[in-house]
Amino acid sequence: MNTTDVSVTVNGRACSGTVEPRKTLADFLRDDLGLTGTHLACEHGVCGACTVIIDDRAVRSCLQFAVQVEGSSITTVEGLATDGELNPVQRAFMNEHGLQCGFCTPGFVVSATALLASNPDPSDQEIREGLSGNICRCTGYQGIIRAVRSAASEMRTTR
Amino acid sequence: MSTITSTGTGMSAASAAARYIGQSVTRKEDQRLLTGHGQYVDDITVPGMLHAAFLRSDIARGAITGIDLDAARALPGVVAVYTWSDFHGGFGPAWHAMLGEELQVPPPLAITDVRHVGDPIAIVIATSRYIAEDACDLIEVDIDAGQAVVEFSTAQADTDNVVHAGWGLQSNAMVAVPFTPMSPDLDQAFADAAHVVECTVRQNRYICVPMEGRGIIADYALGRDELDLVCSCQSVHETRNFFSRYLQIPESSVRVSARDVGGGFGQKMFAFREECAVVLSSKLLGRPVKWIEDRRENLIAAPHSRNEQGVVRLAIDADQIIQAITIDHVGDIGAYPACPAVMNPQLLPGPYKIPRLGFSMNMVWTNTMGKGAYRGPWMFETTAREMAIDNAARVLDIDPIELRRRNLLAETDLPFTSPGMQVFSEITPLETLEQALTMLDYDAFRAEQAAARADGRLLGLGCCVYVEPTSMSGPTLATEGATIRVEASGRVVAFLGTTSHGQSVETTMAQVVADTVGVRYEDVTVVQADTQSTPYGPGTGGSRTAVIAGGAARQAGEVVRDKIIQIAAHQMEADPADLDVANGTVSVKGTPARSMTVKEVADHAYRFADQLPVDLGPGLEATVRFKPTRFPTWSNATHLCVVEIDRDTCVPHVVRYIVSEDCGRMINPSVVEGQIFGGVVQGMGGVLLEDFVYDANGNPLTTTFMDYLLPTTTEVPEIEVGHIETESTTNPGGYKGMGEGGAIGAHAAVANAVGDALAHLGIRVTSTPLGPDDIHRLLIAVEA
Amino acid sequence: MGRVHSITRIAENRRLTRGWGIKPAPFDYHAPTTVEEAVDVLADLGDDAKVLAGGQSLIPMLALRLTRFDHLVDIGRIPALRTVEHGDDSVTLGSMVRQHEIEDSAEIARRIPLLHAATPLIGHFQIRSRGTVGGSIAHADPAAEYPAVALALDAELEIIGPDGRRVVPAAEFFHGMWSTSVSDGEVLTSVRFTEWGAGSGFAVEEVARRHGDFAIAGAACGVQVVGGSISRATIALFGMDQVPRRATAAEAALIGARADEADLLAAGQLAVEGLEPSDDLHASGALRLRIGATVVRRALTTALARATEQSA
Repeated sequence: MNTTDVSVTVNGRACSGTVEPRKTLADFLRDDLGLTGTHLACEHGVCGACTVIIDDRAVRSCLQFAVQVEGSSITTVEGLATDGELNPVQRAFMNEHGLQCGFCTPGFVVSATALLASNPDPSDQEIREGLSGNICRCTGYQGIIRAVRSAASEMRTTR
Repeated sequence: MSTITSTGTGMSAASAAARYIGQSVTRKEDQRLLTGHGQYVDDITVPGMLHAAFLRSDIARGAITGIDLDAARALPGVVAVYTWSDFHGGFGPAWHAMLGEELQVPPPLAITDVRHVGDPIAIVIATSRYIAEDACDLIEVDIDAGQAVVEFSTAQADTDNVVHAGWGLQSNAMVAVPFTPMSPDLDQAFADAAHVVECTVRQNRYICVPMEGRGIIADYALGRDELDLVCSCQSVHETRNFFSRYLQIPESSVRVSARDVGGGFGQKMFAFREECAVVLSSKLLGRPVKWIEDRRENLIAAPHSRNEQGVVRLAIDADQIIQAITIDHVGDIGAYPACPAVMNPQLLPGPYKIPRLGFSMNMVWTNTMGKGAYRGPWMFETTAREMAIDNAARVLDIDPIELRRRNLLAETDLPFTSPGMQVFSEITPLETLEQALTMLDYDAFRAEQAAARADGRLLGLGCCVYVEPTSMSGPTLATEGATIRVEASGRVVAFLGTTSHGQSVETTMAQVVADTVGVRYEDVTVVQADTQSTPYGPGTGGSRTAVIAGGAARQAGEVVRDKIIQIAAHQMEADPADLDVANGTVSVKGTPARSMTVKEVADHAYRFADQLPVDLGPGLEATVRFKPTRFPTWSNATHLCVVEIDRDTCVPHVVRYIVSEDCGRMINPSVVEGQIFGGVVQGMGGVLLEDFVYDANGNPLTTTFMDYLLPTTTEVPEIEVGHIETESTTNPGGYKGMGEGGAIGAHAAVANAVGDALAHLGIRVTSTPLGPDDIHRLLIAVEA
Repeated sequence: MGRVHSITRIAENRRLTRGWGIKPAPFDYHAPTTVEEAVDVLADLGDDAKVLAGGQSLIPMLALRLTRFDHLVDIGRIPALRTVEHGDDSVTLGSMVRQHEIEDSAEIARRIPLLHAATPLIGHFQIRSRGTVGGSIAHADPAAEYPAVALALDAELEIIGPDGRRVVPAAEFFHGMWSTSVSDGEVLTSVRFTEWGAGSGFAVEEVARRHGDFAIAGAACGVQVVGGSISRATIALFGMDQVPRRATAAEAALIGARADEADLLAAGQLAVEGLEPSDDLHASGALRLRIGATVVRRALTTALARATEQSA
């Protein structure tokens, strides 16, 4: 088995591991680093449950090998809250009933956080299009869209 | 009856003095789930754990003539490769209490032949899933392919290809109930009818697709003959009892837990072949084994659903009153069902005054993935009826809404006994129709539609009205248990037999307990999904939690509250009748200064129990098992859907969606609405996007999310919900179940909307799916 | 790279190892830091090796075990492939320029509007974070947007291999489904787009089952209006054949037409004439033709409106 060392920064902390090149970033985060908040629901790049932020951009972690992102700075769902304080997107999901079983939720909150970072005042259509790469089976998206709208509004007023 | 109309209620933080039932309090589950600290089965690692992968058949039907495991076994990292011969004789009865002893779970691995694509042939146990899959690639299997039986509507007639010839069966009929008139004058009603309208309604194959697939960690301790399971399931207790029987060890030797489950919708209700294979592997190895179903497996080889067809006949008189309804039905069971659920024919007349019913029922085997439960597993009765009603309206050239108005049950018609022997009371079908039409502004819509048609646009309205049998009885389902304990700190913990997988049970039951006992919501913890600590429950499904678990929680809470008051009365030298418990404080009514906290009461119950009077025992805990006063608890709703079809591209788009629903008293309105939203989008998906397809040889074609299409944020409109609250008398809370209703009502509502958009062109729609390609075929037939 | 095409299409065209699995098979990983190094490594490894760019198309195929390679050569560490050069009348993009960089570039929006307009249609924003312009074009999915844009704009594709550097015009670059002029051992290194003059307008229209899905059919169009008449037109169809197609007859018919009188309905119908798109799970060939004609008409309508704004 050929393996490579990988070093990345995850949620502000330097992390490393030794992996086969074929190990996906998602599996590296979950299995090697114990960060199980990032979920796998399709592993072929459609559902968005595995979304993480790499160098300020939202990425499907099942569609990158860990070795490809050597040296990158990664934020996972575990890194969104600060000292236990939920970020505005997480708070909005809680207030707007944006989750039920919670399995798709990490991917949604990471995607929404990235979306609002680059587009702080999205229209409804932009919110819908922006989140169309994340699939939920429980909520029918109603609470999710309300949550992102509400988070955007809150973040604009506190800026 | 009270009427509330709301759209999208947000959650609110409950204030200290507020009562909780009826409020959209924020959920207890959310803190851990939002921060990535949920505990789903794949998040859990057990020391020494190995990983499983299945080798599955690529062929729908055939005899296994050879299998070579040598290369797989030799691969570094592979610990074992098992086939049927390794498991044979190693297990006992394989049945689920809800389904009965006669329906055994099929063998964990294929024996001599395969009967559907995905049929598991071997299980590989290795040090990682990656290696297990590498090993699967090295297994050589020779299968002598036969002709697969795929189309279910003709399967029964096909005696050349018998799916289960290996069992000695001679036909593909699993169940064949000949035509059964439920009314003596059924034939006469059809003979006398001014109009007899017949159509064939077909509902396509679409599936649960929980975001988390199935999964299990099985840890068999050889020296102790104990089994520890973490299982993504909908019932920890039934899973425990199943494996107790399966391995012939006492129930108390089996522990099952499921801290967080990522959706189920019925697909995870019954431990199935793969879970059995993993458990047996763990036992043979004496090591923990984890299996996580991947998405391709979940689409192809997790239990399938819907896929039913029926010829529906309506006898309608000159006043447009429906005098009789019949159906000749056939449903696909697949090769190996987990739960052979099909239409409930007795529900076919639904919430209408239709006085006569007749039906034949056929359930057939095919060489496809077997049937399982999916949100409202009986719901084809609604799809068949509601699409047949729209079709009849076209034939009679009347408004489908008007036809419904004339035939729906109103409050004044209740109680009503249907020809299917259902006794309806406390439901509001006509009232929900009228509320929904008001929300839509029906007249304005028809005017808009007329203008659209003049412009060549295709705009349509679909309607679906249904009743939902919630909190049903039947084997195992009639009761729920609750143990409520006040801890020494004054906090309250409620142990329930539920296994929530998105239904917010930790929240809603905490609301009930908080209100009943008289403590703050923040001070209540709900423990569920662990056989070690909770009372038996059949699982979460069948829209039963609010009614039955809520009933148990309430009754147990009342016992605890009563004891709190007794202890406090003794301590405060007050009359129990003068005491009230609220927000964690027991006080004299009218004299709030005379009070003690629930924590202080708990101190006396536990630490200073020697000071309690003799007749007042120590401790502060109660266990109750609750049964509703009758079954089922009916709820009902009306769904309205507006669809526009782009004539040039044939792509349908849902413009508007309205639900008016009556689920009795609501514990948490946001939770209720969330359940409706999710079910609606599943039903919508099943019409416009989701369709599981096999080719003529039984090869599945929609095997990934690139081809099995789930709705996303850009395919769903804002869903508007109106509520009517008719309290139920089956349980002290006045609640009704409603979790499956969204999925029951949406299919026909969306399909009828497409039908209404095309009706003026002379097109009749009685089958699904209705994606662009299906719509295109319908359009070019009239454009020619 | 673009999105992965329907698995059933792939199964028809490639040897399916087996229909199961979700973790990729093992491979050796190489991460050269120069183009020369990449070419050398590819020469050593032969056809056991595959170039890895953004991974958004290749990795799903590896995960589903639809294909496997003993070696992946990651060109993501080569700085020379990430450059954006603004020439006098052209823009040259290194093949590893990410789709999101194109989407976020006001300069590219101004100078190569068709490329910019196509970008938000590629999958979802998470895909565009890593997907690349070169990867999408080299993968050549028949339903992808960038290959059609390259064809519409007569882009020039620079390829470097063991025999040196060559430039292939887009019209000669696409050979068949997932098949281009880039052979084993070669690397697509850059794409050069030439600007159109004043009075130009561009638009991309596609129809998919859902937002972000691969197109059932799409059209990338551009028109230039001078003195109120159409002086130049380009129409490239995707999802209608094994490769993107220029609708040259429809383009010719537009030349000389008054911008406000052009028969775009006829243009759409002419654009799909002679094409024989196949049936698949999501659309019949007949539906594809209907949609193809529609998207051409709609894209030309928008392009003309933008061109007229430009020349006003």
